[in-house]
Amino acid sequence: MRILQTLAYRNGVRTFWEHRQVLRMLVLRDLQKQYTKFRLGYLWTLMEPLGMALVLWFVFTQLLGGRQLGLQPYFLFLAVAILPWWWFSKGVSGAAKTFRRNPALLRMSVLPTRIWVIRVVLVSMAEYLLSLPVILIAMLVTRTLPGPLILLFPVGIIVQFFLMYGLAMLIAAGVAVIPDLARIVRIVLRATFYLSPVLYSVANIPAGAQVLAAFNPLVGVLGLYRIGFWPAEIESLPHYGISLGVTVVIFIAGSVVFHRLEGRILKGS
Amino acid sequence: MIIFNGVGINISKGKRRQGGGRRHRLRRFAGEQSRTGSWVLRGVSTQIAAGESVAVLGLKNSGRTEFVRLAAGTLIPDEGSVSRREPVLPMVDLGRAFDRGFTVRQNIYLLGGLLGMTPERVEGALAQIVETAGITTSIDKYLGGAPALSRQKLAWTIAMATQAKTFAVDEMLAVGDPEFRERCLEQIKLLKAAGTTFLVATEAPRKFEGFFDRAIVLHDGVVAADSSLADGLALLRELRLANSITDTAETKSDPKARPELEDGF
Repeated sequence: MRILQTLAYRNGVRTFWEHRQVLRMLVLRDLQKQYTKFRLGYLWTLMEPLGMALVLWFVFTQLLGGRQLGLQPYFLFLAVAILPWWWFSKGVSGAAKTFRRNPALLRMSVLPTRIWVIRVVLVSMAEYLLSLPVILIAMLVTRTLPGPLILLFPVGIIVQFFLMYGLAMLIAAGVAVIPDLARIVRIVLRATFYLSPVLYSVANIPAGAQVLAAFNPLVGVLGLYRIGFWPAEIESLPHYGISLGVTVVIFIAGSVVFHRLEGRILKGS
Repeated sequence: MIIFNGVGINISKGKRRQGGGRRHRLRRFAGEQSRTGSWVLRGVSTQIAAGESVAVLGLKNSGRTEFVRLAAGTLIPDEGSVSRREPVLPMVDLGRAFDRGFTVRQNIYLLGGLLGMTPERVEGALAQIVETAGITTSIDKYLGGAPALSRQKLAWTIAMATQAKTFAVDEMLAVGDPEFRERCLEQIKLLKAAGTTFLVATEAPRKFEGFFDRAIVLHDGVVAADSSLADGLALLRELRLANSITDTAETKSDPKARPELEDGF
């Protein structure tokens, strides 16, 4: 019970609300860096995932069209999952660098240490939200409209936010204590791309392995995003349940681990 | 009011930049140093009352910075506890927080925010900050090209503008030109008279004649003396002398040792 209270307090919206203005400044600054560095600025946010979806679509339907992967239209199927994957990937790799970027900030700031973690998560989330028009483009190209279950899409965003926050706390604290973890995170991240149902749907996995695959928190998140377009995905509902459970566990674990390691994070700066 | 209660902090040797690499490994092999680190401070119990001005003295790597950071809460003790009646403003490495890609104005808001000021308060103090820091160019220019000196001056001015009740300072006033330092000294004397608490880790406190009420001398991880500034300085001189006889070769030959500022203030 005490742990739950600490969780609520430590992650309290209040803490972040108090510092919302400086947080906004930090997030905007990071976004500004992204967009002013290149001539096409914001357009890259749309073009990069579009290009990636296009390449994958070409490879898996035109070159290797033998086996039916995922659901139709495949291009939309890819686009809907690639955007959150990018959020995931950027959030995770950003989290590994959280306390390396400017250790002086930890030494001089009166802000709670968690601010630096939530900053990384919010920046990657903002980029994700800005890239959402890609899905509209994919809908136009494939002439597909979502059903009423699209209302679960925002739920997916919220779930992914908590997943990212939990993971980012775990990774940021872990890397601060054991620097080698940063390398491991990179490798695991690459593997996760293929182990998550980005290119395929859960139904494509051999029946025996499906339950195992469901322990990947991305299964539930991607399912929530896709269910509006492919109501048939609801068949995998039990898997989503397991996956969402894992998300909750990650969030709690991240929060507890971060709290425990905070002293060592500060020492490292 | 800050209360240290049996405070200990353990920091691994590597992190303290006391020379790493081959020599370090050899020493560990010879059993001289442990991999697990060492206690920078241990069993430190003391109180800093409201309105006091305390100098934290000590040799190199005696834990002065750690002491100040513990007081400000930007370091969490491994043992014991530090309690504060009111928020303590850390002034450690302030100038490093600036973002070169921001304009001067944005940087003022940024550092102010990091030190806990709301944008409204920064706005109110903006004109005064710009004037005191001696910024003559437009504040909407990028900070990137500004010399380190003016950046430190700006950082100092912003920290003062927070109007905190307690300041925990590391290497205070090692910044700026003589004229600016003079003005800083005037300012902190005024603040002190108004009841502001100062905890200052410094290398050269002599020029603060009459500012400090008390000196805490750290040595071998403990408080070696808690006395008047004159007594503290005398002890520090003794320690330095003893240290220079036994340990000169080591500290001098160590290229990674933290460069100390020759002329504090």
